[in-house]
Amino acid sequence: MEIKTLSQDGVTIVTPVGRVDTSTAKAFEDGVMASISACNKIAIRFDEIDYMSSAGLRVVLMAGKKLSAIKGELVLINMPEKIFSVFKTSGFDKIIKICQTFEESKQFFN
Amino acid sequence: MLIEVKNDIEEINRVRHIVQDFCKSRMVSDKKFHDIIIIFDEIITNIIKYAYQDDQNHTFVVHMDKDNDRVIISFIDDGIAFDPLEKVDPDTQSLSIEERPIGGLGIFLVKQLADVVKYSRIGKQNRLDVTVAL
Repeated sequence: MEIKTLSQDGVTIVTPVGRVDTSTAKAFEDGVMASISACNKIAIRFDEIDYMSSAGLRVVLMAGKKLSAIKGELVLINMPEKIFSVFKTSGFDKIIKICQTFEESKQFFN
Repeated sequence: MLIEVKNDIEEINRVRHIVQDFCKSRMVSDKKFHDIIIIFDEIITNIIKYAYQDDQNHTFVVHMDKDNDRVIISFIDDGIAFDPLEKVDPDTQSLSIEERPIGGLGIFLVKQLADVVKYSRIGKQNRLDVTVAL
């Protein structure tokens, strides 16, 4: 799968493209973890993916745990409603910050 | 409709296209297609990863039908007996990010997205019937 990364205002924005399922989750994990090893302020952008299964949720949780352990920050941005509903069902909206836009997420990156 | 699936994780892509065509041609909404595709992904992944304990090639089947107001999907495999409904739901509300265990969300998602999930062991087969109301 394609994963775009962009550095903006000291934050690395990771954008997975397509689907995050069992067959692509490893590439998503590798992309996110590589970004975390270079920068502890990470935004993952969700408006270019069609759907995400629990394999993708697993990667997001791993990223959140890792960043929490190294005093970094993870914010999820630009999440379409159908993807948000999967996060909410899983209770991830309670443990990971979710913002409408990158601008909005900046308040969490100091 | 009958879909035959091999125990190879790359099958997920092929099956997704079949499910997409099925849903589109029957006017299933985007939202419900999204739910159905996640259900397929979770259950097929489970069967491929865990049902067969040897290194042999296996094939299992999925029946998918739509009536007026629901889609009914039956996953039938001849792997080891496994009732996914016996698994305790994860605590999604009260744990911190440090406390949340990694994994264990797949079947939980299926139960949340579907309206009815029923497991039966029939002879040497596992059968999981999933109903999604439209």
